[in-house]
Amino acid sequence: MTGARGKTIVLWSIVWFNLIALSLPTIIILGASFTSGDIVRFPPDGLSLKWYARLWLLDDFKDAFLRTLYVSVICTIVSIPAGTLAALALTRYRIRFRTAIQVYLLLPFTIPLVVSGLGMMIVFGEVRILGQLWPVGIGLCCINLPFMMWAVSATVNALDNNLENAAANCGAPPLQAFLTVTLPAVMPGVITGALLMFILAFNEFLVSLFLTDARIVTLPVSIYNSIRSVITPDLAAVSVVYIVIALFAVWLLDRLVGLELFLKSK
Amino acid sequence: MRKFDNVPKINRRQFLTGTAAVVGSALVCPGLVFADQKKPKEIIVRAWGGAWGDALKAGVADGFTAATGINVRMDFTEDNEIKPKIWAAVDQGRIPPIHVNWDTTTNATISALRGVTVDLSDLSNLKGLLPLAKPIGLDGYPLVNTYAYVYVCAYRPEAFPDGPPKSWNVLIDPRFKGRVALYDDGIGFNPIAVLVGGGKLEDIPDHMEPGYEFYRKLKKNEPLLGEDADFTTWFQNGEIDVACTISVNARAAKEKGISVAWTVPEEGCKVDTDGLWVPKGLPPNEEYWAKQFVNFALTRDAQKKWCSMLGLPPVYPGIEPPADLVGDISYPTKPEDFKKLIRIPSKVLVENQPKWFAKFSEIFQG
Amino acid sequence: MSSSDTPSFQYPLSWRILDRAESVAGLWPGRWSSLTGYLFLVPALLLVFVLVIGLVYIFDYSLHELDLSTYRLKDAFSLVNYQAALKSVTYRIVVLRSLGASAIVTLITMVLAFPYAYVMVRTRSSFTRKFLLISLFLPFFIGQVVRAYGWLIILGKEGLLNTFITSLGLPPVKLIYNYPAVILGLVQYMLPFAVLLLAPAVTSISEDIELASEGLGANWVQTFRHVVLPLARPGLIGAGVVVFTLTLTDFAMPEILGGGTTDFIANSIYDGFFQISNPGLGAALSMILVTLGSVIVTVVFFLAGTGTLVSTEGTP
Repeated sequence: MTGARGKTIVLWSIVWFNLIALSLPTIIILGASFTSGDIVRFPPDGLSLKWYARLWLLDDFKDAFLRTLYVSVICTIVSIPAGTLAALALTRYRIRFRTAIQVYLLLPFTIPLVVSGLGMMIVFGEVRILGQLWPVGIGLCCINLPFMMWAVSATVNALDNNLENAAANCGAPPLQAFLTVTLPAVMPGVITGALLMFILAFNEFLVSLFLTDARIVTLPVSIYNSIRSVITPDLAAVSVVYIVIALFAVWLLDRLVGLELFLKSK
Repeated sequence: MRKFDNVPKINRRQFLTGTAAVVGSALVCPGLVFADQKKPKEIIVRAWGGAWGDALKAGVADGFTAATGINVRMDFTEDNEIKPKIWAAVDQGRIPPIHVNWDTTTNATISALRGVTVDLSDLSNLKGLLPLAKPIGLDGYPLVNTYAYVYVCAYRPEAFPDGPPKSWNVLIDPRFKGRVALYDDGIGFNPIAVLVGGGKLEDIPDHMEPGYEFYRKLKKNEPLLGEDADFTTWFQNGEIDVACTISVNARAAKEKGISVAWTVPEEGCKVDTDGLWVPKGLPPNEEYWAKQFVNFALTRDAQKKWCSMLGLPPVYPGIEPPADLVGDISYPTKPEDFKKLIRIPSKVLVENQPKWFAKFSEIFQG
Repeated sequence: MSSSDTPSFQYPLSWRILDRAESVAGLWPGRWSSLTGYLFLVPALLLVFVLVIGLVYIFDYSLHELDLSTYRLKDAFSLVNYQAALKSVTYRIVVLRSLGASAIVTLITMVLAFPYAYVMVRTRSSFTRKFLLISLFLPFFIGQVVRAYGWLIILGKEGLLNTFITSLGLPPVKLIYNYPAVILGLVQYMLPFAVLLLAPAVTSISEDIELASEGLGANWVQTFRHVVLPLARPGLIGAGVVVFTLTLTDFAMPEILGGGTTDFIANSIYDGFFQISNPGLGAALSMILVTLGSVIVTVVFFLAGTGTLVSTEGTP
């Protein structure tokens, strides 16, 4: 087992175990969504698209889906400038107390989500905006902002300082250098970050649970509520919507920046 | 009285034109006397899931929608969880998250005492209801009770070949380890636990220790803890043999062809009521239609359909029980029916039930 | 360039817009240019500040006792909530359960994730690499609730596994609503995080060093132990800390797969606020969780360095 063959066998067995654990829930949900029976069981009672048809007719589902989309778009739109500029500031500009600011900006990751969610519920309640939809998007932006900053800094760090200097030496005013040299150079990071922000907001559950109510319930929360009452196959069909969106996001990410980007050492 | 200072002064001329407008609109559409009755697109009713939600939909909501054109959306947020959310909304002057709360009378009374409920005394259908409909210890109708129910001992007959369980001690019988079930806050079993643990009715609420001791024994028997719909699912899947649950959930499994029965063990069963209430802070037109929903739920037709689907005795008098529940212990109607059941005074429940819940979760989370 | 001799000529629109923008930006005085960086930070600082205010509110809540006659927090300051939380046996068990789960999940996840990251980085086949990346990103982009639902279908009484077990003539097994189910759900949830944090660390290890080690007669196990893992240490610490803290503060998996009897701290906080309507107690538990997490992370960083999480580079 200590030979090269042993290495392959050991490593690949673990990899295959991972692959199964990672994909089994997805595959099972796909399978369950096509059942023609009224409860989820194995083997399915037969194949049909009836749960998808039912979903299509469900106004609650459509409303929740649109609301989730709305919230995710707000989260992404706010986080693109906020995260990009912050990442640039921290990597390209002379900033005092840099470490302190970095630690501060990592607070969304260090404060537990349940605490962030409750805190925002209280704050939004105090300023009377709890119960509206747009603050949910802001809230999701607050908790995931470091992802945006991380994605941009990763590309900024790879950016050659001399490029901007060269632009300046050629007489480009600061804004022009920024818009024509810096921004295009960090664009892959911005795109990656924006995609991450969108997809994380689209899936976010716990903070949404605190910030939404029945009037403005979003999809992850309504799935959670349904799991807690009765598990029917229409839930599987809803979940498939998520799987399809995730597939699309993975494809898009790969097309735009290449998944291999995530393997690069910093 | 400060809040009246803000009322703008109305001069006589404005008053007259205003009156004329109201009278005029009342003539045009006789059903609508006030301008604030504009129909909302939908109203949101907090409800319990499973058989409960189905019954509310078929018995009340569908009829209400047919009569008014207003959709009814059900929100299955848990009853304890919606409570602090409504309180916060009313405290902060925001619009509450729901229009009508279908609630346990105890929780509803707590909310009423906090002053977040709208008075329902002017509903036309309150007249002639059984005395059970009137909440105890409160002025007017900050909530209205809609039916009574019993937390029965539901069981799978196959697991009890020698006949129904005679005592609640069956819950700690090691033969049923991992196959007994309770509500996840212990509701319905709190007073019973004291009795089966060796205490007396007079011990409630001051000496609950026998009940807590019983809980500790019960915890070793690994009970499943859930909400209404869970019991139905568990019986359907054959995951439990015995449960302390409202008869509705056992009956729902039975109606799906599962063999389930229920009984009142020697210690008795807790009987209680549920009700409907409307939170303060809704826009006037939405509040109006929320109250109309409650009023609709109190009509004979709605009460008959809703409660017979649930299998529970309604507050509307003279409705016959469903055929399968005639003489059933879970459908108390006559005074002697209530003798075998335990009714804890509303005041005791309001003051203590939250503490019992906390203690229950402390013991079972430990 | 006067417009009279070449009336049709104009600079490209983008140039003109840029010039205009430049003149607006020129209003920003040159001597303030050292402030530009700070200006860039403002939106992010404000967004994070929302969380800080929230934390302050929760800290304030935690210092007020619940008045059971009105269900409002009393005005007076008191430490009753902290006393209640620290004295309670239940909460001690919940805290220990969460800590235990964090340790177990971190250990299992790292053991599973490292080989995955290693194979993914080292494989010569770009197809394999892509396949492994997609298999990783797909669940990463599907939220906890949906994945927990998938596990419910697999592990449930009439789920996939039990159907298989009963088809062999064996009695069904209770696979769900218990501690192992929560651990399984969490490990699966954490795997993509761990692999994505480990992969750059593996990339940074030169393959030549491994070859040298093996050239000197070490077998792959020895090479792993003495060369690869020590070199990947920063990545391992970073990934370990993330997995540990995410598990410690998780809500969804214990809530959905735990069946109400395997609560973690987050679930107790939620119940404090909503189930028993005692925001003071819930807030005290929140502060305890924040403190616990911070202390653990600080201790790890103190003992083992910050790993890859806090970058010390990047000074221009």
